[in-house]
Amino acid sequence: MTRVLMPLAVLEGESVAYGLMDLLGTMDVTVLGYHVLPEQTPADQAREQYEERAVSGLEDTTEEFRKAGGAADYRLVFTHDRQQTIERVADEIGTRAYAINGATGDVNRLLVPLSGNVAVDRVLQFVTELVGDRDIAITLFLASESDGADGLLQRSAQRLRDDGIDVTTERVVSDRPFETLIEAVPNHDAVVVGEAAPSLSQFLLGDESERLAAASVGPVLVVRRETKEDGAEE
Amino acid sequence: MSGEPSGQNIEGESPVSEPVVETDEATVTENAELERTLGLSGGLAIGIGTMIGAGIFVFPGLAAGRAGPAAALSFTIGAVIALLVALPTSELATAMPKSGGGYYFISRGLGALAGSVVGLSLWLGLVFATAFYLVGFGYYAVDALGFLGIAVGESLVIPIALLFGAGFTLLNVTGTENAAKLQNGVVALLLSILVVFLGFGILDAVGLVGEPTTPERFAPYGPFPILTTAALVFTSYLGFAQVATVAGEMKDPGRNLPLAMVGSVVIVGVLYVVTIFVATSAVGSNALSLAGETAMVDVGRELLGPAGGFAIILGGLLATMSSANASILSTSRAVYAVSKDALLPGRASRINLKYGTPHVALGMAGGPILLLTATGRVEVLAEVASFLHLVAYGLICVALLALRRDEPEWYDPDFRVPGYPVVPIVGGVASFALILFMQPLSQVLGFLIMLGSAGWYFYYARDVKLKGAL
Repeated sequence: MTRVLMPLAVLEGESVAYGLMDLLGTMDVTVLGYHVLPEQTPADQAREQYEERAVSGLEDTTEEFRKAGGAADYRLVFTHDRQQTIERVADEIGTRAYAINGATGDVNRLLVPLSGNVAVDRVLQFVTELVGDRDIAITLFLASESDGADGLLQRSAQRLRDDGIDVTTERVVSDRPFETLIEAVPNHDAVVVGEAAPSLSQFLLGDESERLAAASVGPVLVVRRETKEDGAEE
Repeated sequence: MSGEPSGQNIEGESPVSEPVVETDEATVTENAELERTLGLSGGLAIGIGTMIGAGIFVFPGLAAGRAGPAAALSFTIGAVIALLVALPTSELATAMPKSGGGYYFISRGLGALAGSVVGLSLWLGLVFATAFYLVGFGYYAVDALGFLGIAVGESLVIPIALLFGAGFTLLNVTGTENAAKLQNGVVALLLSILVVFLGFGILDAVGLVGEPTTPERFAPYGPFPILTTAALVFTSYLGFAQVATVAGEMKDPGRNLPLAMVGSVVIVGVLYVVTIFVATSAVGSNALSLAGETAMVDVGRELLGPAGGFAIILGGLLATMSSANASILSTSRAVYAVSKDALLPGRASRINLKYGTPHVALGMAGGPILLLTATGRVEVLAEVASFLHLVAYGLICVALLALRRDEPEWYDPDFRVPGYPVVPIVGGVASFALILFMQPLSQVLGFLIMLGSAGWYFYYARDVKLKGAL
């Protein structure tokens, strides 16, 4: 099965929403317990004090993921830089996607934006595996500044329908694609996005998927860009 | 490592040790990973940021007063010794890329007694150095107020230094978010100020622009003051060892540690030597000496008018602040390394639940720092800090020789000292020798602190064994 990384601020009492845990039932999950430290605290020093507590929390969460479906394990990292840790661990275990936690109940409908420069194939493949034979509907969403991307949207929808998934498409022409996307979030229980290529706006405004997660409140699954190792395999 | 640490201190605590695997990006223990988050630029910023405060902005007046234009030679001697120690330190750090730096290498190479003396001395050495930076900051703050038209006189130097010392301690306890990024920015700004300033200064010194100055005798007071001045200004080069204390947090340590340590010594050394040369050429060593701790402001004014003076005041404030802050930060790491080995109570390295910072260790630094700052004795503070570090540096060289003599199996550094064994031998001898050229008062204080540290070991932790597989 495909593996998903589930980062969790384990010592801050963060827990995985029930609906997200259920949604990931078709996946193997690695729970990444992390604790971000201020710069003046060596990681080792924090480990000494908190390791036991963190491990016991992680074992509980991992057990719950096992009950929900796939094979689950955990890693515990003390770090000064959350994003660096997530990327390193995701690379090491070769995950297709990582989750951003958020509140949600039962997941019945997923929002899948195809806007921007994302690897559509990888996103669709992931969505198919995630949904499996469950009764989860998909909204494929595309917002752009100009006309002319309809072909992509229709092709993608057809591909998912071929796998027996209930798909709705939504097409918006807007000069503010990100804001339009946020407006589409209500009525959806979770979002699956492709990781955008690094860009200036990402540098200035922060990672788009993080902003999306913050604005939508619910969980976001981020399908990672193609990594070098993937390329070698294919 | 065979020959694991063992034994107990009088409170029944034992050294903490666990098998770990070091990779380029993380340290992996049985249950957890410690992310390595510092890159080469972060390492260089720690080294340069700690070193650049004192040497350029506080010492020129004092050094020129003692040695004349030959003060440039004193700084060169300091740089060469620092480099001779930085190379062995790099080798040890790549073999043991862990938090703790010099203390860790010495305690594993030479045992718990030497480790205790050095561990406690390094902590107090940082305390003395921080107090020195703070007093330097006080002088610059008074000058800055003067520049703004508020003449307050030197009586406010110490109160300002104390106020900011308390402020920095508090800042470190409550968490300095993004301090490292800020530090990078400060270092970049300082380097640009200095490069412009020195570029102009060199043109002036060789007579291409500005008024010609009367040539001076290079060493008006003879060779001995050059050496005593080297001992005084060696405090300028204490920063490179701070890079080793964050070895556990540096990415790709085999490459980045040696580059950051040697690189920061070379960069800072060149800047110092050129600065002294420019300063003595621009205003002459007598005038420098009279201007004291903030002589560089006069040099700035002489070369570039009021704007030059302002740039130097700004640089001096930033540099002494960043040095003081970086040193306070390092003290808590020194305390942690020692307490992890049960040579200090484990309580000392507890982390504050609210802020995630080591508040006990920071407090153990902040108190004594304020006490020492209150003395206002710039030269003594600087020399005692140098004394305590020089002992550690000398012992680092000895530890390298000891480890290399019968190389234990775990010893596998990515970087090996070129010119072994000459470099560590000369580095060790030079470190110890420089101590002999200090003022008697500094020598006595430094010696008493070492004696006290040894006494503490015998009282508190005489059963603790730390020696590696030697």
